[in-house]
Amino acid sequence: MTERIKKIIDTESILPGKSQSGMLHNIEVFTDRYKFILGVILAAALVVLPFVMGDQYLLTVTVKIGAYAILAMGLNILTGYTGLVSLGHAGFVAIGAYTASLLSVNAGADFFTSTLAGMVVAGLVGVLLGLPTLKVTGTYLSIITLGFGEIIKMIAMNWSSVTNGTLGVKNIPKPEIFGIEMTVGNYGMYYLMLALVVLTAVFCLMVVRSKTGRAFQAIRADEMASTMMGINITGYKILAFVISACICALGGSLYATVIGYIDPNTFNFDVSTLILSIVILGGMGTIRGMFVGAAILIAFPEVSRFLMEYRFVLYGVILVIMMRFRPQGILGWKSTLPYKLNSKVRAEIEKIEAEEKEGD
Amino acid sequence: MRKKRLLAIALTAAMGMSLLAGCGKSEESKDASASSGDTVKIAVAGPMTGDNSEYGIGFANAAEMMAEEWNANGGVLGKQIEIVKYDDKNTSEEATTIAQKIVSDGDAAGVIGHFASGVCMTAAPIYQENKMIEISPSSSHPDYTKIGDYIFRNNTVIEKEATASVDLAVNDMGKKNIGIISIMTDWGTNTSQVVKDIVENLGDPDVKVVAHEEVMEGSDDYTPAITKLNEAGADVVICCGMYNLVAPVAKQYKAINPDIAIVAFSNAYSQQLIELGGEAVEGVCFPVIFFSESEDPTVKEYIEKYTEKYGAAPSALTSQAYDSVGILLTAIEEAGTTDHETVKDKLYEVEYPGVCGVTKFDENGEIDKEFIKVTIEDGKFVKMGE
Amino acid sequence: MLIQQVFNGLALGMGYALIAVGYSLVFGILRLVNFSHGSIYAFGAEMAMVFIGFQFGIVPGIIAAMVLTGILGVCIDKVALEPLRKKKSMPIASLITTIGISNIVTQLLIVSLGSEKRNFPALFNFGSIQIGNIAVSSTQIMMCVVSLALMMVLVFIVYKTKIGLAMRASEQNAKAANMMGINVNFVISFTFFLAGVSATIAGVLVGSYYQIVYPNMGYMAGLKAFAAAVLGGIGSLPGALLGGLIVGVSESMAATFLGSTYRDSIAFIILIIVLIVRPHGLFGRKGITKV
Repeated sequence: MTERIKKIIDTESILPGKSQSGMLHNIEVFTDRYKFILGVILAAALVVLPFVMGDQYLLTVTVKIGAYAILAMGLNILTGYTGLVSLGHAGFVAIGAYTASLLSVNAGADFFTSTLAGMVVAGLVGVLLGLPTLKVTGTYLSIITLGFGEIIKMIAMNWSSVTNGTLGVKNIPKPEIFGIEMTVGNYGMYYLMLALVVLTAVFCLMVVRSKTGRAFQAIRADEMASTMMGINITGYKILAFVISACICALGGSLYATVIGYIDPNTFNFDVSTLILSIVILGGMGTIRGMFVGAAILIAFPEVSRFLMEYRFVLYGVILVIMMRFRPQGILGWKSTLPYKLNSKVRAEIEKIEAEEKEGD
Repeated sequence: MRKKRLLAIALTAAMGMSLLAGCGKSEESKDASASSGDTVKIAVAGPMTGDNSEYGIGFANAAEMMAEEWNANGGVLGKQIEIVKYDDKNTSEEATTIAQKIVSDGDAAGVIGHFASGVCMTAAPIYQENKMIEISPSSSHPDYTKIGDYIFRNNTVIEKEATASVDLAVNDMGKKNIGIISIMTDWGTNTSQVVKDIVENLGDPDVKVVAHEEVMEGSDDYTPAITKLNEAGADVVICCGMYNLVAPVAKQYKAINPDIAIVAFSNAYSQQLIELGGEAVEGVCFPVIFFSESEDPTVKEYIEKYTEKYGAAPSALTSQAYDSVGILLTAIEEAGTTDHETVKDKLYEVEYPGVCGVTKFDENGEIDKEFIKVTIEDGKFVKMGE
Repeated sequence: MLIQQVFNGLALGMGYALIAVGYSLVFGILRLVNFSHGSIYAFGAEMAMVFIGFQFGIVPGIIAAMVLTGILGVCIDKVALEPLRKKKSMPIASLITTIGISNIVTQLLIVSLGSEKRNFPALFNFGSIQIGNIAVSSTQIMMCVVSLALMMVLVFIVYKTKIGLAMRASEQNAKAANMMGINVNFVISFTFFLAGVSATIAGVLVGSYYQIVYPNMGYMAGLKAFAAAVLGGIGSLPGALLGGLIVGVSESMAATFLGSTYRDSIAFIILIIVLIVRPHGLFGRKGITKV
């Protein structure tokens, strides 16, 4: 018994897919081996980036990429890990953006308090939207989310005493830390974005690796089997909605303060599909993929400005081609590295092994 | 399988490379232009893609034409003029990025543009902060020019135009029961509110707003709103929207009540209105500062040239963009430099005779002009009362 | 007033129903929500306008637009969707592909024809009929007549012809149908062709009703027609018709009694309520789970 476990831990030979993707495998092995050094280099690069770039325009685009990466990570929890496709996440972005910016414009709340409030409101609405999962599944659930997005837009438009209707919310203040206003110009916005992105990524990683995350993935793989394993499907689905909504609200609040102006049409169906495209293009159910997806889909329309009126034609072409040749997403490969047991399990095995040896 | 995988990787790599190349290139071009400096660059920012691209492209066409005319006469300050187009898709999100880009590139003498008021209002603070001149040919929001001294507009502020529209309805047409139909955008909502206030402040108890209906963009069925206006007894409708609202409203209203009078705003003044509305827009009136059928030889020549070049007659907004470029170039010529601060100061002094009459900015960067009252007769724009 | 709005709503709903049929046909066979259908509808309407402008006569112009749009549908399937099916990739990859295609078609229309709203000739304008104080225009009547006729033709094709049998077989089980000697790929192409043709007819009818066409006309109409298709039970032709009519009438009602600004959302509110009560729509069958 233990021999077999040992074999699984030690050998890579039985793993599928090794032969067919030698290059990817090598890259993975390489990154895994030098994980620490690469991490440090990446972190250093991200910290000094604004000083190297120095250009406000490029920084604005980078901050936008960061905001969309947060949104994508939020949707990824729901779509990537739990397997529920949402076509209305712009609704949560809108809730976060509106709650936060209205609080800071009207009540003078600072960025962090108002963002937190936005996340709470979005989370509550997330419970509401999660409830239909009791009865509705698959395509039909996606359609309910689509309707949800449209209804949120309508509320933002018609509830003008609160949301200011089509006039939108203007002059959304920039966040402040110790009395220093964080703008794109003094790199504050960039570091705020970086901090929020790292925070979100770490949080997502923790969720995914926890029992909750495994339950999500079990639901994605097979609902029936998950029920048999005693997983409370409805509860976890609603939880996925809530987590996803909260993260998207955070992204929405960041977005609102970066742009400084929001109106109901900022959060239309195109935003929902853009976030979904980032998730799919980057690679569903991976966190690294969200950064690549956001970087490509946000930077591309900027890079292709010289194409003028053709740039959104090409944007569509990119989506089609990427799906044609890499439907699982750019970074959406199955890991070919040996599965790592966590330290507790490893210790357990070693203990059994030791006992067996003694027994001999 | 392997081949495809390779292909996919190659594709990804190519994408990444193109991204990098793109970034690199944009920086290269920036350096090149900053060092060369043998042209004067004017940025035109507006929607070049998407639903409102007709307006942005109109701005760009007008600017190109004005630049060509100047270039044929030796350019400005002895340099050739180059128009650089920037697409903001008429969204605030893109507008902030674009404004940052224009400011970062730093070599533009000024910006003509941003189309919608809301979009202008997001971009303007960035221009002001970085001392870049912005002249919007279309923004009408009262707070727009208050953002700073680098912010100008070659369009009348909404209060003045709305006063003129109400005047048209009440005094010229002699109507008393006003119905308002407005498009649900920041401009439409704002304008309808202003119209209501003006009617209330007229002090005439007989004149009142009998109903106000808001309609959505992207649906062409306005009959429910029109039915309500009609039942409220409106005898004139003030239509707050572009030509693409005025034309279908006129059609659908006249199917219900053929005697209705319709008053619109200058941004509906476009040949498209007549093409789209046909017979139904006969008798629609609006106050404009640009009149395409004017006898003025400058205007005639301009209309002819534009129509020949781009295949369609210029709209009011396009012509305002055309003049805006002219004003900016004149100010540069008179200032003798492209330094933003000097040119800005000069802009407050220049008196520019253009196709929209003589333009002079007041101390807030606003213009004040006499409105021409125009109506449509036999498929043509004509001055009222002639 | 109420009855008048019902009539207006019915005419509106017929337009949605014709677009909804396209979603239903494709979904029935591929289990795929074809988000490019709204742009195909706009393409059909714009092409009809262009061809009618060529002065070949109105009917040949419309037929040319129908054929061209049908071919566009087939091309979309052959170029972008069939390779994905062959690779057996995730259904959501196809969904993103259709979103990409929708982008390409709409933007190309804007680039080539401009974003302007253009005049579409009123094809059936013979005045209106007055019944009491309700005015029903001939265009509205023609919309209903043409829609119903087209719906009957579609039902005939699906239930009475050989290709219809093949369509239904592929819908039930593509693999088994393939083994029975049905060329499933041809059936799918045919379905896309039918969807394109019905979208063009919808575009022509709606275009001539409002006398307006523009490149982005399929955006909101597409979403609402999609809601209609789901409401009726996606994959079912009578369901699409009923869903379209419900959406049309409720939209007209909402615009009258709540205000025009609520019209776009009412379809979705009804949709959500119906789905919670009947998770597969009014005429839908169970067992559809993919996205």
